[in-house]
Amino acid sequence: MSTRTATPPQTPAPGQPGPRGASRTPLWANPRLGLLFLLLALVALFTALRPAFLDTTLTLVPLQSDISVYAVVGLSQLAVLSLGHMNMAVGRMAAMSAFAMGLAYDRLGVSLVVGLVIGLLVGTLLGALAGLVISRTGVNSFVVTLAMDFALVGLITILYTRFTDGVAFSVRPAGMDALRNDTFADYCMGDVCGPYIPLVVPLALVAVLAVGLLFRFSRLGREILMTGANEKAAELSGIPVRSRVVQAHALSGLLAGLAGFLLAANNGAFSARIGDAFLLPSFLGPVLGGTLLAGGAVSVLGTVLGATLTQVIYKGLNLLQFQLDQLNLYIGLVLLGALSLDRVRHVAAERRGARA
Amino acid sequence: MSTGTTSARPGGRLRGVTARPEFTLAVLAAAGFVALAVATDGNLLSRGTLDAFFRFLAVPIVIGLSQMVVLAIGQMNLSVGTLTGLCAMVAAWLMLEAGLPAPLAVLGALGVGLAAGLVNGLLVVFTRINGFIVTLATMTIIEGLRYGINGPDTFQGYSQGLRDLGAASLLGLPVVLVFALVVAALVALFFGRAVAGRKLLATGGSPFAARLSGVSNDRSIVIAHGLSGLLAGVAAVITVAASGSVNSSIGDDLLLPSFAAPIIGGVALAGGVVSVAGTCLAAFLVRLVDVMQAQFGINPRWIDLIVGAVVLGAVLLGTARQRLSRRLS
Repeated sequence: MSTRTATPPQTPAPGQPGPRGASRTPLWANPRLGLLFLLLALVALFTALRPAFLDTTLTLVPLQSDISVYAVVGLSQLAVLSLGHMNMAVGRMAAMSAFAMGLAYDRLGVSLVVGLVIGLLVGTLLGALAGLVISRTGVNSFVVTLAMDFALVGLITILYTRFTDGVAFSVRPAGMDALRNDTFADYCMGDVCGPYIPLVVPLALVAVLAVGLLFRFSRLGREILMTGANEKAAELSGIPVRSRVVQAHALSGLLAGLAGFLLAANNGAFSARIGDAFLLPSFLGPVLGGTLLAGGAVSVLGTVLGATLTQVIYKGLNLLQFQLDQLNLYIGLVLLGALSLDRVRHVAAERRGARA
Repeated sequence: MSTGTTSARPGGRLRGVTARPEFTLAVLAAAGFVALAVATDGNLLSRGTLDAFFRFLAVPIVIGLSQMVVLAIGQMNLSVGTLTGLCAMVAAWLMLEAGLPAPLAVLGALGVGLAAGLVNGLLVVFTRINGFIVTLATMTIIEGLRYGINGPDTFQGYSQGLRDLGAASLLGLPVVLVFALVVAALVALFFGRAVAGRKLLATGGSPFAARLSGVSNDRSIVIAHGLSGLLAGVAAVITVAASGSVNSSIGDDLLLPSFAAPIIGGVALAGGVVSVAGTCLAAFLVRLVDVMQAQFGINPRWIDLIVGAVVLGAVLLGTARQRLSRRLS
């Protein structure tokens, strides 16, 4: 995996105690490493309980598809968490993009790629609109995106009832079934078959790489992070804070749109239900991965690990035949446990740093 | 109706009243009510419609207050909706499966709400994790618990007395609404007069200044979350009494309204300011939109759209107002 995590912020986030003196936390206190161990332990546990967990077609292939979707959902939230903002409308932005794609495929008969671009454009515009309202009025991002969520919930159902005969477009553009069902193993190159990786994975991988590179190396990404760390200081340093806010929200909308497309590809239909379950996972991934809500620091790799962990838990508990609603109980407990452990690690690292 | 806004504004008494955001809301609510009554040819004022209007106003008020209490310290409680559902399920379970009398079941539901709220607060204090994340996690946990009580099945046919109370009226107003208003008055008193309430607002206004003045921020956090949970329990009791049957989907549609009421009512997300009257009036306004939909047979989906627009509009109005008054002074 070649993504990189952004460096931790130079200044402690406002409102957080922050490490004093010890600017570098030791390796064992890295939340990503803890996440990786937890992930391996869970995979081992589930495999021991149900050997079918490592079955390729039954578990591993669908699991990869799910991880692809929710990693992108997490990145969509991460894009605005970098500012210290929130996007409560991720799910609805995804649904709106999915609607635009469905409409384009159904009415205009465009190809898969063109429809995807149209959908992403809609998502980007929605995100930019949210960002514009936030940056122009100075109203809390939570309120703006919550109100947007409210508004879009209504709009999406109205649009679907008007333009389809039910809650979903029945159209399937060429290539969508392949995206849904095929893995690289289905495309043999000579005598060597590819790995059992679904075709949606590369799409998510591109997004992960792009976001990682953006926040790590690009001027735009660094300026967004600086805006998140300290808006006043960023403005005084000559960073166009307002347009950075709009751009970060537009990125969030773009990624939400991509997540909507990936989920639609996995489900095989562009339906009104897309994005309904995005809100919680969108926070789970970044937060488990060590991204702060305060802004100024992001961890792209952590987000992918966090999303993977959540999906592994879902899949594992599913195989153990837990009811879907009961899953929530355990997901919540794992989230609390992981975060508390993170806190313990942090405090321990701080103490150790102080003593040394 | 007492209010709980903290900022005392300078100027004459009358001007002080009319300049308050609550006044604008009250005028809007009254105008909306009259307009709707005229538009429906007085149908709104018929006994049945009016009764339903007020009966289903009780839960939005209490759930809005439940969110407001946590907003007062600058945090959020995402678990209010599912917690209301859990408490309602617990109350029904206590009556039907455990065979307890209704008063004990009501106490049980309130107890569960309070306990869950306190757990939220203690988790925030001890783990130092952001309250948003903590309640996001407890929301999912409570969702699982809520489902675990009775699976997908519905509880019905519990205590007749409680259901009678839910359907009863007092001086023309449903008892549940009177109950909700009494709770609102108590919350207003808590923030206006009680030491703990003032400390809560101090914590919300500026945690640093509060600490220097000898206020325990940790205690404020625990109290605020505990009170929020307790109010969710109250909302659950009202739901159980007024609806006659409960299942594990109760509370799913309460999270967004819980934010809508205080935010339209002028409560700042940053903390330190509350407005009980504003929250109640905003709940009234949202209910008006609801009834309008029912009266004119509008696609209920338009309502979400309208409420979303109203929330955003109210907030924008608030910011514009602030800017204007800053420029004037």
